[in-house]
Amino acid sequence: MSVVETAAEEQSVVIMPSGRTKAIGVIMAVIGVFTIWIFAFGSDASAHSQITFNPINLGTDAPWLVGTLTVASRWTNLILGLLMVAIGVEVYVRRPRRLVMARFGVVAIMFFFALLVWVARTPGPAPVPYINLTALLINASAVTMVLIFGSLSGVMCERSGVVNIAIEGQFIGGAFLGSMIASTTHGFFSFYYAAIVGAVVGGLIGLLLAFLAVRYRSDQIIVGVVLVTMLTGLASYFTSQVFTPFPQFNTGNLAPNVAIPLIDKIPVIGPVLFNETAFFYVAIILVGVVSFALFKTRYGLHVRAVGEHPRAASTVGISVERVRYINVVLGGAIAGVGGVALMATSGQFQPGYTNGYGYIALAAMIFGRWRPSGAVVASIIFGLSVPLAQLLGQYNVPVSIYILNMFPYLITIFVVAGLIGRVRAPAADGIPYKRE
Amino acid sequence: MTNTDTVTPDESSPVPPPGRARHKIWRPSAQSPIVTAALALLLGLAVGAIIIIVTTPAILDAWRSIFHSWSGIGHAIKVTFDNVGAAYRAIFTGSIVDPASLWHSITTGHGWDNTMTPISETLTYTSPLLIASIGVGIAFQTGIFNIGANGQAVLGGIAGGVIGSMLHMPMVFHLPLTMIAGIIGGMIAGAVPGVLKAYTGAHEVITTIMFNYVIYSFLLFVVLSTPFQQPGQQNDIGRMMDTTAQLPPLFGTSSGLRVNYGIFVAAAVVVFAWWFLDRSSMGFDFRVTGANPTAARASGINAKRVIVIVFLISGGLSGLAGMVQVASTTHFIDGTFLIGNAGIGFTAITVALLGRNRPMGIMWSSLLFAALGVGGRSMQAATGIPLDLATVIQSVIVIFVATPVLVKEIYRLRGSSESTLQLANKGWNS
Amino acid sequence: MRLELRGITKRFGGFTANDQISITVEPGQIHSLLGENGAGKSTLMNVLFGLLTPDEGEILIDGEPTKFANSGEAVRRGIGMVHQHFMLVPVFSVAENVVLGFEPTKSLNRVDYKRANEEIRRVSKEFNLEVDPDAIVENLPVGLQQRVEILKALSHDAELLILDEPTAVLTPQEIDALMAIVQSLADAGKSILFITHKLKEVKAIADVITVIRQGKVVGTAQPTDSEAELASMMVGRNVELTVEKSAFSPGSDVFQIRDLVVRDDRGLIAVNKVSLDVRSGEIVALAGVQGNGQTELVEAIVGMRAVESGTITLNGRDVTRDSPRKALDNGIGHIPEDRQRDGLVMSMSVADNLILNTPRRAPFARHGTRNLGAVKENAEKLVKDFDIRTTSVEATADSLSGGNQQKVIVARELSRPLQFLVASQPTRGLDVGSIEYVHRQIVNHRNDGNGALVVSSELDEVIALGDRIAVMFEGRISGIVDPTTSREDIGLLMTGTGTSSE
Repeated sequence: MSVVETAAEEQSVVIMPSGRTKAIGVIMAVIGVFTIWIFAFGSDASAHSQITFNPINLGTDAPWLVGTLTVASRWTNLILGLLMVAIGVEVYVRRPRRLVMARFGVVAIMFFFALLVWVARTPGPAPVPYINLTALLINASAVTMVLIFGSLSGVMCERSGVVNIAIEGQFIGGAFLGSMIASTTHGFFSFYYAAIVGAVVGGLIGLLLAFLAVRYRSDQIIVGVVLVTMLTGLASYFTSQVFTPFPQFNTGNLAPNVAIPLIDKIPVIGPVLFNETAFFYVAIILVGVVSFALFKTRYGLHVRAVGEHPRAASTVGISVERVRYINVVLGGAIAGVGGVALMATSGQFQPGYTNGYGYIALAAMIFGRWRPSGAVVASIIFGLSVPLAQLLGQYNVPVSIYILNMFPYLITIFVVAGLIGRVRAPAADGIPYKRE
Repeated sequence: MTNTDTVTPDESSPVPPPGRARHKIWRPSAQSPIVTAALALLLGLAVGAIIIIVTTPAILDAWRSIFHSWSGIGHAIKVTFDNVGAAYRAIFTGSIVDPASLWHSITTGHGWDNTMTPISETLTYTSPLLIASIGVGIAFQTGIFNIGANGQAVLGGIAGGVIGSMLHMPMVFHLPLTMIAGIIGGMIAGAVPGVLKAYTGAHEVITTIMFNYVIYSFLLFVVLSTPFQQPGQQNDIGRMMDTTAQLPPLFGTSSGLRVNYGIFVAAAVVVFAWWFLDRSSMGFDFRVTGANPTAARASGINAKRVIVIVFLISGGLSGLAGMVQVASTTHFIDGTFLIGNAGIGFTAITVALLGRNRPMGIMWSSLLFAALGVGGRSMQAATGIPLDLATVIQSVIVIFVATPVLVKEIYRLRGSSESTLQLANKGWNS
Repeated sequence: MRLELRGITKRFGGFTANDQISITVEPGQIHSLLGENGAGKSTLMNVLFGLLTPDEGEILIDGEPTKFANSGEAVRRGIGMVHQHFMLVPVFSVAENVVLGFEPTKSLNRVDYKRANEEIRRVSKEFNLEVDPDAIVENLPVGLQQRVEILKALSHDAELLILDEPTAVLTPQEIDALMAIVQSLADAGKSILFITHKLKEVKAIADVITVIRQGKVVGTAQPTDSEAELASMMVGRNVELTVEKSAFSPGSDVFQIRDLVVRDDRGLIAVNKVSLDVRSGEIVALAGVQGNGQTELVEAIVGMRAVESGTITLNGRDVTRDSPRKALDNGIGHIPEDRQRDGLVMSMSVADNLILNTPRRAPFARHGTRNLGAVKENAEKLVKDFDIRTTSVEATADSLSGGNQQKVIVARELSRPLQFLVASQPTRGLDVGSIEYVHRQIVNHRNDGNGALVVSSELDEVIALGDRIAVMFEGRISGIVDPTTSREDIGLLMTGTGTSSE
């Protein structure tokens, strides 16, 4: 195993203190009991649930059709619930030091299915007797994509030692200008131009952040918050002054899906992963590119050195300031493109529709331990929660829609507070560097 | 007692012994906070002017006409000054006083109510802003980033609104009870991220921001799905507070001047903050924790207790601010109460920074920012330029304040000094 | 390489850290720079290494005047530095650290670790510095980490090697190993500049000694000169190398540790069933190289770290799980290892720092309100009694020199009634005068019939202060000996291979 992987592996393994492990075990068991009580016994004994997997609009590239999965609601949820309790008990009793999070992931997935089964049960309050899992995943992919852009931006900046709270602002800037450009240019390349402009805007915001953080050693978190406040105000201002009187500047339009032939026909994941806008593919490619750059290249070694021990880096001739400027600008550009991506999947710019995604992206980055691969997993989890909340509302779950809307944020809080334990940020993260 | 005749500095920091002259770059702005603030204000206004220019069609047309004839420049400059001037004049007359109206009142002795309205509005909006900013400032001095002040204010406003409209009793009970409700609402909102940070180490930046969004959803829930909704309304409007729960105007309702007893509440908060930070033992503990958390722990300070209490205080003050806001202005809450990034909680952050987290400084900067907000409203009414510009100017001012002050003078001594934006410089590692 | 420093002067404001310093180092020579803490050695090295630009003077390499804009240039010119606080990225591997900045690359800017490892193995073998290139640096013992530092410098083809206080973190045996390496490097033709304040080492290894005091060169010396002569050149007056202690008449046990087990930040066991007693009127000195659990032991005693099992008893009372507040209230005094991080709030006044542990106790506060007058009075008294040099009691702590900062902490701890004193590396980074002062304070405390535990990695300090010496190695007490034991034997205990005489 190469050096790099050994070092990287050390970073990604969490040795959890036993108190926290026991707490997680209890939580898993409680979730299991909840599943049994509400989801299993909350369904009629005779109820059935159907989950379908075919995307709603079957175009000419019809995917290989897959039948509907029909299960007996109560039995399925009973079994799932019991499994969850079993895993929870195992964690509590045996207190394993590794792979606790993996077990929790399994429990989470089971809970997700149990939830769907319960919501789609017939007889039940649901308006239609099935849930289209693929449609849900496709909706989630839009949010996930934006979160991936955001968390990649966070990783780029923080690996070099600068905290970028302004991601939300870079989303806003990118979305706003992206919409303008996409509305005014037409034709095949309009979204490319929009993306480029978004990257430039995000990069400029990053430049300002870097300037204040590196040159003036301001507190990065405060500067980020102030920047977001300013950018939100600017966006609101320009919306009233430009978009409202001239709505033709804000008809951004939805970016078209680009289907990858053949593999987009794979049931379930095909339409989700391989029939997406170009922005989605760019996001995935970026994950690979950033991972490669950070962990395999010379550039990445310098970046990580600056983020961990800037003085050591500077004594071998690496310019800490230069590395930080470059990374924060690049990170900002990535976030800017993320903003354009958000616009491209919603159709236009609306003030406030970034909805705190920039901050959720930071939580995803922390959850992913400052590695792009981990951040993707977190982005998927958070990305799912948004359309899931909407779905639950449509299916007449007996909880107010407004409470349901809280779910993505509550999940974020829960993840940041509970599951992570103490993670190790890059050692110099957030600490301004002072030359002697 | 001892007799040491060498007083040489520590090897690891080449530091001049005390008493010797330090080489300073003569920078008046870095020395005097008032000069810095004034300079930043000018720069902020300049940036605002640029934004106005860029978005006013009349100005752009005037400048475009230069390409036709050079004499157009004079015209273009005039148009620019007219528009920008009108906007800024509106800010001034809307927030402080309209000189014409003042003259009229002095000479005829009438119309004082009209003349005093701008200042009254400014003071009305200063009160809640000041209270929230003090809460944020106390948290900053303890090294805690309470970015959730807005959500805490909303929850405080909800609590105050509920008690104020759904309970009925004489004012001598109702008003204090409503204020207490506001404080408790804010405390609850602050306690969640506080307890999480104290007992799980969850970083408060993310938890407070996320909790803000949770509370915004809760607000919609409350004004749309609970008995708190205004009876007979389909929209997201809550009930009207009883007059017994409202903060009465100082000069009576007939004068039309909204300045109210809220300013006494705000003044009391300032005095409390000064006493707390400067004189109380707990405040000392807070400041030590903010300056050096490790030494604080080593000297016996209970970090968990400090974290929870600071969130309770900061949240409680933000909640009180929310309640004062409702009780003194609209008297009811709707779905857009304090919403968005321009809400009182976010302005409070910028105010606290400008005021260097100190009670007196916060008092002056909240007056300034409230004036900008009120003036901005009047500017919007007069010229159509959106109120958001005021928010932008406020943010720009704070950013400009950050830069000169924060340049650590080259021969500055080690250890953190009282810098506005340099709180804990610790990133995520708490 | 032949290095010459001519008239190097560096000022910080009105303060001159280096004043017309001239030194010459010949190839193959081990040139030692001797000076106490605060003399200006670090500043000079930073100038030489390109981290600072001198105000006056020049640097000549092989006769040519040279200027460095940054340390990268110095490295390229053949100057390598082994820093006192290692410039190694803890989470990186040895290979990543060694090649940082000079990485061999293959396609797509990828780092070629195969070539890097080969190069490292080559240099390792050539200079007898065996290290595993794939090991993660933070998992290595300190002695090996230092080897990586040296390896790093050599792999950059350094011709001049600067070693800045290299023995601070080593056991006597590791020091011998280092000396052997240094000698062999010199024999291979490298120039060595060896910076230290330790007289024994200087005599052991140096070919030539330049003594620095208060920024100036006060003269050259030979390794054959006596320690007393060297010390007096270093400090400028006759130095009392030992501290006077009254007769040793210990009382009963005042402090007991039994089978204590404590984990470190990474969950590994740092203190492994340690048992120790301290009697009143006695100083127990805990010797050992840093990193063997002493830090965690002290943290457990003062309540800053959780105890997994075992007990700590103070005057018969179980104080094992006491919080720092309770430990302080019980009369445990603590002089912390890192005074700026754990002992002082740098941005607060001297007066506030002097009551940092007891701000709520009368008369400093009543009913939750502080009595600022009482705080100030107390501060003025302590400043006088303990000879703390400061412009005013309201001056901030960061305006004080290191020695005076330590005096603040000592004054604070020793001016309240203590049951027991724990002093951890109490004279680290201090000039000789301050060292004498701190030692005298601790001994006075003990002469008055109180007990103290002094943790130190400086063997001289341990031997001077300890009535009994306990040695800690890898979390265990490897032996408890009396101060007449030879340094070699203590050294063996520090590496876990000796036997104790008790």
